[in-house]
Parts: sequence; structure tokens; C-alpha cells
Amino acid sequence: MILSAWTREPIVHFLAAAAALFLYFSWVGEPADPASRAITVTREDRAALALQWERTMQRPPTDAELDIMVETFLREEVLYREAIRLGLDRDDPVVRKRLSNKMDYLAASMAETAAVSDSALADWLAKHPDRFTPDARYSFDQLYFAERAAAEVALAGGSTIGEAISLPASFENTDRNRIEGQLGQAFTAALDDLEPSQRWAGPVASGFGWHLVRLRGRVVGTPPELIDIRDQVEADWRSSTEAQRRKDAYQLLRSAYQVSVEK
Amino acid sequence: MGKGKLIASVGAAAVVLGVGAYWLSRPEIVDPADVADAEAAIALAEYPETVLWGDTHLHTDNSIDAFGFGVRLGPEDALKFARGEEVTSTTGVKAKLARPLDFLVIADHSDGLGVMRRIYDAPRIAIRDATLRRWYDMMHESPQQSARATAELITAAGAGTLPEAMMDPERREKTATDIWNAQLQVLDRYYQPGKFTPLAGFEYTYQPDGNNLHRVVMFRDGIERTSKVLPYPGLTEEIGGLFDYMDAYEQATGGRALAIPHNSNLSNGLMFELTDASGGPMSARYARRRAMREPVVEATQIKGDSEAHPFLSPNDEFADFGKKGWDIGNLTLSRAKADPMYAGEYLREALKRGLSIEERTGANPYKFGMIGSTDSHTSLATGDEDNFFGKHTGNEPSAVRANAPQNLGTQVGRFGWNYLAGGYAAVWARANTRAEIFDAMMRREVYATTGPRMVVRFFGGFDFADNAFDGDWVRAGYKSGVPMGGELAGNGRQPRFLVSALKDPDGAHLDRVQIIKGWTEADGTVREKIYDVAWSDSDKRRRVNGRVPAVGDTVDRKTARYTNSIGAAELRTVWTDPDYRAGQRAFYYVRVLEIPTPRWPLFDALRFDMTLSPEAMDDAVAQERAYSSPIWIGPAGR
Repeated sequence: MILSAWTREPIVHFLAAAAALFLYFSWVGEPADPASRAITVTREDRAALALQWERTMQRPPTDAELDIMVETFLREEVLYREAIRLGLDRDDPVVRKRLSNKMDYLAASMAETAAVSDSALADWLAKHPDRFTPDARYSFDQLYFAERAAAEVALAGGSTIGEAISLPASFENTDRNRIEGQLGQAFTAALDDLEPSQRWAGPVASGFGWHLVRLRGRVVGTPPELIDIRDQVEADWRSSTEAQRRKDAYQLLRSAYQVSVEK
Repeated sequence: MGKGKLIASVGAAAVVLGVGAYWLSRPEIVDPADVADAEAAIALAEYPETVLWGDTHLHTDNSIDAFGFGVRLGPEDALKFARGEEVTSTTGVKAKLARPLDFLVIADHSDGLGVMRRIYDAPRIAIRDATLRRWYDMMHESPQQSARATAELITAAGAGTLPEAMMDPERREKTATDIWNAQLQVLDRYYQPGKFTPLAGFEYTYQPDGNNLHRVVMFRDGIERTSKVLPYPGLTEEIGGLFDYMDAYEQATGGRALAIPHNSNLSNGLMFELTDASGGPMSARYARRRAMREPVVEATQIKGDSEAHPFLSPNDEFADFGKKGWDIGNLTLSRAKADPMYAGEYLREALKRGLSIEERTGANPYKFGMIGSTDSHTSLATGDEDNFFGKHTGNEPSAVRANAPQNLGTQVGRFGWNYLAGGYAAVWARANTRAEIFDAMMRREVYATTGPRMVVRFFGGFDFADNAFDGDWVRAGYKSGVPMGGELAGNGRQPRFLVSALKDPDGAHLDRVQIIKGWTEADGTVREKIYDVAWSDSDKRRRVNGRVPAVGDTVDRKTARYTNSIGAAELRTVWTDPDYRAGQRAFYYVRVLEIPTPRWPLFDALRFDMTLSPEAMDDAVAQERAYSSPIWIGPAGR
């Protein structure tokens, strides 16, 4: 479905997010009030722990196992409350960072959920064709030589016998990544300077030494149609949008502050 | 009505709107049937032809500690980065892998998985409540209805009659499930069978008294199975609990899971004990369970190298790699290391212990293959020295990180430069799919590197000819032998091995290839021996007192450069064990050493124009390496 424009406004997301936090603490947060020294583990709490166990282990916990879980829960809760009482959360860089990250998360997760139209994705694809274009593919034969001179002699003399090395002699319609993985970046870059031909060319340098290359074919990738890669385009659009949302949300909050940096 | 309640009520209205928008526009998930079709369309090679590179141990912001250190990149960024796209690291640096990975296991800590998301997720539950749904609908109907809904809401809040949806245990449980499911959906969205494979996993962070007994658990399956369970947190204080969990998963779903121990070097002797987990004598049942559940072990990663230790292998001049700082105590440094602990920590010794336990019980608990990984907590799987993005966001590239004391535990004795850049897992699979990668790990046809992507082949058999490399030797290796990770049944003849190591095409030349053998003597003692089987310039580098002299060192400490003027592009040989005796129980694995190259602190010194401490400078150059999984041989008729 298409949501009305206001649902995409960062201010709405932020309001909702802030409210969510508030609401959570004002309802659910009460049992965990760190100022209190009373802890009640409700039947629901125990049931939640038991359910989590069952979901994990595919069977319900025994009474003893449940007791251990409750004990673990209590220990964490007691230490947590005492830590808050001692003010250990203040001036703690980890806590600070964590809370600020939570705010970021709230801003971004809203974008994660927005629906997106085909036309918006088509625009996105048109704007960033390079992100979706498949690798070029190459078909070629190669001969290996440890020394450049030997490769030149072979090329001049028309020899098609290279030196021994555990590399494939031929590649058929292999994508660029795969070639780069096996023969390295320098060699792969050099392939682009060669014109497809039935003749041997080179020598071409690689991390191993030198090669004579017979480039039989090269297929340059073209961007696919949206319909074929919709998921991929949407994923890309979504994560880019998320980053923007975080930025917008921050700017919104930031603009409400008066900041002075003394130098 | 109190002021607090009023604010809460207004907040509630906003929540309902926001949450409602969420529910009605959830992103589509990839249909498992589509994933299955895409997998089925991938052709399988007759035998593994190309090696796949990956990281089985990457943390994202769903890990409680990674998040605490400040990482903001999530699973999606991690996957993008691994498959070769540019992302911006948490500290604002643009990052792109020069060479993408073929697969990635996101292994966030199962304890507190994604808890920071829960606060956001909690209100989402509310919309399932009939009352809230009605309010939501009213709000969408018209401004008047919306105002009425808000009024109702405020009244309900004031009267304390708001829906109790949040207190329902079943729904609370749902929040944890949602975090896991959200991750599984992302994994499926990025899965491109044949090209890039994300696998589901988590890290089980078991560390009694700070002794590291962590395992990464990895699944073979897609969301239709993995969503039926939750990651296993520390429920019991015994490793058997994790294995029970894996059994239960497999029985309930028909899926498969395996566990990968890591940082045995920080376990203070507990990872590979001679006893069972409770200290009693090891039973064959326990031994078989370990071997079945833990087919591979992380030999090397950011927090040090666990292959071998000079204390255990005093004759191994290369055993000191990645030990400094790490071998002084356990993970948190709550307990110092004592000499008797080493034997339970290093993989070569564990492989030896496995042989002697097998002799006693008939089952070898430590019959594992070896892989490397990063254990990076930055969402960035970087394993190379010149792209080290830090163990966590607190030590992403900066001028101070190399010399700084590092901040786990007591901050004594460990420094930034002790971190390794991290390793990679190399997998010989017939295709790049979840099933093929998982199955290759189960049969241990994998190897570890400390970062460089050298191609290592290793076959054992009895019938390899001296000139085996002249023909199609890979086919011969599979046809008349077993690949790395395999087992040979002894038949009285000496085992022969085909070993080939091709340098990283964009990396350093190779110094040497070694075969490391461990075996049991007739009296039950276990021994090890290192054979140099191939090395560069062997006509000039003659053995001196039985040892191959050092290859040399071309690293310029000022510019962090080396040259490939020494070493070889490829080393390979057919090797026969000259010391084999019929009936012997033994393992053999390959260690490949590169020529010396700069480690990441030297690149840092150059980039940030800073001076390394003398200790860091001493350790600024190293010989990167690969470890193959072993091939075992035992008495006939096993």
C-alpha cells in the first residue's frame, strides 16, 4: 500500500519513536524501576523465560532449569539496580554510545519499513546503474612464464607451450571477479586493454610472472530490467534511505540545541 | 490525571500511528521457494575446482559488545561490504574490499542478541491488540475519528484500562524471535547462489571464569528452518547443552548445524582437554559427539594464532606467530597462564591428544579441520594487513591504536599491536551455495590462512606417481586419494602426498611448504615432526644441520614495502613419509609460509606518521601463512 506523505516525515518518525520509548518505560518499565529494592518475578516473567527456553531447545525446561534461569535473571537485575544506584551509568562512554546509537536506530528503522513504489525503484536503478550491472565476462587462454624474456621469445616464435603452474590454461565465460581472484588485479586490468582476437598477445604481468593471452571473447554486462532484480534494487534503496533518515533525524534534534564550542 | 500519565497517553497516540504504519508496510521477504529454485539452478562441478573465500565469524551491531564499542553497521552493511560494495565504517571512513568474499557467516553473540532493538520492537506488539487496532483504524479514517481515538486512548490510560498486550509472555517472546527473523530475512535477500552466500549463525559465548570456550554455530539452512529456533544463549554451564540444542534443531527441522571453537589460545587449557567436560575420563560417546559437532576449528584470527606454541613445539622456529600478549592468560586476563595449560589450547597438540584418546577409547574427539576467520566486531570482514579495520570500533584506524594498551579485562600486558589482522576461511566446494559450503566444512575440506589468499591443495594416497604433476593431477588426487580433511586406511605401504601451494595473486611470494606430522608411538607417547617438503630456490638454499635456512627479508621498515625478489610463485611436490611404520596412527597437515611482509602496525606507522613502541616494531614484520586441514591415517580395518 502507499502511505500518505506525512508518514514519511522524519519528524513523525521521531515523535513516534520518542513516544514509543516513553510509553515503554511508563508501562513496562515500572517493574524494573532501579530505585526500588523490591523485585517481583511474576508468573508471566517465568512463563516468558520458559517459553524462550522451549523455543531454543525444542522442549520445555525442567523446574530446576527454570529456577536457574530465574536466578540468573535476578542476579542481573540486582546488579543492574545497584549499578544505577551507584551512578555507574553516568559518564560511561559505552552507555553513552549505546543510548545514542539507539536513537539512530529508531530513526533508521522507520525507513526500513516504508513501502516503495516501482517507479521510485526504476529511478533508483537509472541513477545507479553501476551498482546493478553484472560483471564483465571473459573467455581466454593463457600461457605462463616466470620471466618476461621467455614470454617474449615464445610470442615471437609462435610457441604455445608455457611453463608449469597450477593455473587453468583456459577460462570460459568467466566473470571478472573470479578471474581477479585467481590471476590478480594487474592481470585482470590488462584484459580490458586487449581486443578479442584469435592471436596470442602480451606479455601480460601478473603476481605470478608473465603471461601470453589469447582473448577469445569479452561480454560487457548491461544493467538488467527492474523486474528481474527488484529485490536487489529495493535492498539498495532501503539502506541508502536509512542512512539519510538517520541524518535527517539527527539534524532535526541538533537544530533544537544551542551549541557553543569554545576554542 | 497525573502529568506523567497525560504525556504517556499522548505518546501512545503517536506510537499507534508509527507502529501501525510499520505493520501495514512490512518489507516483503524472499520466498524460500525462490531461494531453493536459485540454488537448484547452480551446476555442481565434478569435484571442487575453485576455492571459496569467506569469514565465518563476523559481529555486527546485533552483538551486545560490538554495539557497546560503538559499531553502528548492521548485518546488511556487513553483507554489502563482504560482497564488494563500498560502505562507510562507523567512524566515517569509506571502506571497500579490494577483493570481495564468496561467503559470510554473521555470528553475533547469542547472549542478549539484539537487545537494543527490543525497546523499539516492544510497542510493535501492541498493534496486535484488538483495541489498538481499532484505534489505529479510527485514526486513519478521518481527522475527527482520529481525535476521538486519541481521546479514548487518553481516557483509558487515565483509568488504567489500557490493553495488557505487552504483559503477555507469548508476545514478549515474540520480540526476541523478531530480531533473529529480521536477520534471517536479510541473509536470504543477499543470497546469490553461485556468487555470494550468507549463512546464518551465532556465537555461543561460553567462558567460565573468563576462560574462552566460545563457539560459532553455523547453519546449513534457509529461513524456513532457521526461523524455527532461536540462537542458543548460555543456558547451561556445560558444552553438552549446546550439542543438545543442535540435536534438537536437526530433529525438529531436518536441518543441519555445526560448531566452530575459537580462541582456544585463551581458554587456559580447557578447550581440548584429555578429560570430558566434567573432568571425568573421556568416554567414546563424548569423543564422537565432539568430533561430529565440531568438524572445524578456527586456527587463527584477530585475537591470536592457535596453531602451535613454542612451549609445546620448541623445535618449530615458526611457532611464535601471533602469540605475543595472548599467551599470558585467559580471555579476560582474570587468570594467568601456567605451563600445563598450553597443551589444551593449541591445535597441533589437540590433534595429537585426539590420536592418543582414540587409541584408548576408539574415538577421536579432536578430528577437526582448520579455518581462519576475523572475529571482527566492526561489521567489516577485513583480513589483510593493509586493510585492518580493528578488532572493534574502538580501534578502527587511528594514530594511537597500535601502541595503546587494549581494553579487555585488566588492561595489563596486551597492546593494540598484539592483534593480528585476522584470517580467512578457504573452502573447497563444488559450487558457491549454503549446502556445498557447509558440507565441505563437515568433510573438513577447508584450510586456514592468516589473510593472504594462497591456493593450497593437499591429497593423500598410496599410488601417486613421482611425475603426478605432469598430468591432470587434481583429478588424480580425488580419484586415487583423499583431499585435505580425509582419512586413509593404513595398508602397510607408506602414504604419499600431493601438495601444491600457489601464492596469493596479489600478495607475497612463498618461502616454503611444510608437512607437519603427529603420531603415536608403540608405547603410547605422541610425537610431532616438521618436514620441509618444498621451498624456493632449493638449489641454492641447501639444508644446514637438517634445516632450510631463512628465506631472507625484503621489508623496508620505513615505507612498509617488500619486494617479491625472493621466494617462489608456486611450490609443489609429491612427498612420501620416510618415517611411516605399518599400523601407525598419524595425521599430516600442510603449513605454507610466505616471505616476510609488513604487519598492519607498520602500515599504521606510515599512514599516521607515528612511531611504534620498540616491542611493536620488533613484531612489525611476519611470515603470513596457511594451515591445511589434516589427513589422518590409522591401522587397517578401522
